[in-house]
Amino acid sequence: MTEQGTERTGPSVVVDDLHVSYRTYGGRRTTEPGSGRRFTLRRHVAAVDRVHAVTGVSFVAHHGESIGVIGHNGSGKSTLLRAVAGLVPPSSGGVYAAGTPSLLGVGGVLVKELSGERNIVLGSLALGLSPTEVRERFDAIVDFAGIGDFVQLPMSAYSSGMSARLRFAISTATSPDVLLVDEALATGDAEFKQRSRERIREIVGNAGTVLLVSHSMSTIQQTCDRVLWMDRGVLRMDGPTDEVVAAYSESVAQPDQERR
Amino acid sequence: MTVTDHRAPAEGRSETAAELAARHGLTRSGARPSLSRYLADVWSRRHFAISLAGARAYASNQVSYLGQLWAVLTPMLWAGVYLFVFGHVLDTSRGVDNFAAFLVIGVFLFRFTSTSLSAGASSVIRNQSLVSTLRFPRALLPVSVVLAELLTLLPALVVLLGVVLLTGEPPAWSWLLLPVAVLLQSVFGTGLALGTARMVSQVRDVANIVPFVTRALMYVSGVFFSIEHYAGPGGLGAALAHQPVAVYLELARGCLLQGIHLTASTWLWATGWALGALLVGVVWFWNGEEGYGRD
Repeated sequence: MTEQGTERTGPSVVVDDLHVSYRTYGGRRTTEPGSGRRFTLRRHVAAVDRVHAVTGVSFVAHHGESIGVIGHNGSGKSTLLRAVAGLVPPSSGGVYAAGTPSLLGVGGVLVKELSGERNIVLGSLALGLSPTEVRERFDAIVDFAGIGDFVQLPMSAYSSGMSARLRFAISTATSPDVLLVDEALATGDAEFKQRSRERIREIVGNAGTVLLVSHSMSTIQQTCDRVLWMDRGVLRMDGPTDEVVAAYSESVAQPDQERR
Repeated sequence: MTVTDHRAPAEGRSETAAELAARHGLTRSGARPSLSRYLADVWSRRHFAISLAGARAYASNQVSYLGQLWAVLTPMLWAGVYLFVFGHVLDTSRGVDNFAAFLVIGVFLFRFTSTSLSAGASSVIRNQSLVSTLRFPRALLPVSVVLAELLTLLPALVVLLGVVLLTGEPPAWSWLLLPVAVLLQSVFGTGLALGTARMVSQVRDVANIVPFVTRALMYVSGVFFSIEHYAGPGGLGAALAHQPVAVYLELARGCLLQGIHLTASTWLWATGWALGALLVGVVWFWNGEEGYGRD
């Protein structure tokens, strides 16, 4: 993969003044000025709202870097990752990445009525592997996921830990240039956490870039050398792990000043 | 807007993000490729669509004790219901020689297009978990829905050939043209699925309209009556007979039934509708490619 451009040093992700907003269906906030009680009809008709999840984030990530993303619930971490993956289109600004970034989320399942076997084949084909490559890697994926004979059962029968493991195994089967991990390690057991950390290190060692969203400061400290702190859609701090984690922990310790 | 790249050598000026990205060979995430590139992407991931279609068609029957037997039982039961209602209760057989075969062909092939339309319409919003997890050309979702319907149709076609034989139609060379007719109808269905999938993903309310459209199509397409006999040969009858669904039903019946003769014009209409729908559907769907993950 050393054709023109895909060099293995330098930036792998460039995020430039990124704004993301998305539509939600089925409910609508009525606290905006001017709507108030009089417009309660709007809660039943045209109950479509817009959430501005990421507002003006810019950063550059490099090959071989593993970056943690921390912040409170609803601070825009997951949306940021999905935008980097190209799964959510930006409403303004730009996201540039090397290759096709691969995202691991907590959603847990791909197609839940299908067996793990089928999901491995589907997921790998969607990632761009050929049927022959899928056959070659199938056993390795099943082994890594460690789900045993559950592989023949529909994914609706899986525990959340099992489906997270299977997803992680599928998404990392191709050694992507950019791997985005969204809390996916949180549901696994200790052994799986260990194995997935090793896999992440392997990808970073191959000059890939990993962006890891987690609420576990120990996971962040063990895996990442740089941290982005997201706060209400804004990138509040970007720096070495120790500094940012210390500042974040301090703000959590004094919730009155930080959170309204 | 400029970004600073602390590790880049100092160049005396800050470059824009787009320039920095271009210099290092980065591409815009989730950008819509050119139409030819998009179609090449769709083709290179065709195994994904086929695999998803096969899995869906299989899974729809698997959640019961009789399992895959339902693939054959379902069309047989439908044939029985329609034969009873339209062959006995409301007799709409006037102007048709072999009404049982005429009706069963009409019902099965109409269901193929109407389910392609309704399942295709919701194909993108139903698969949000896939769309929000994996990056692949979204057109594969409506395509795989039509493939799944085609796979469901195959056992139904076996039942259908049984009915045709049992009602006294002799096997003929023209039967060999049935796969071509079904192929053209699938291409048309793919165009419909692509077109409605984008509409529903942008304005969900369209999904509430789809059932009315399929029901209206059912009544104007000569599924259980002869258009020529009931609407006459004049303006309205001609318009009804040339609308796509009626054309495809006529085509399949012409292939299988002795009493219906096909002309070159029917084949031309069928080909024209198929290619036209596919072209419009593909371009329209591709145009909206960047917006499918927005919800």
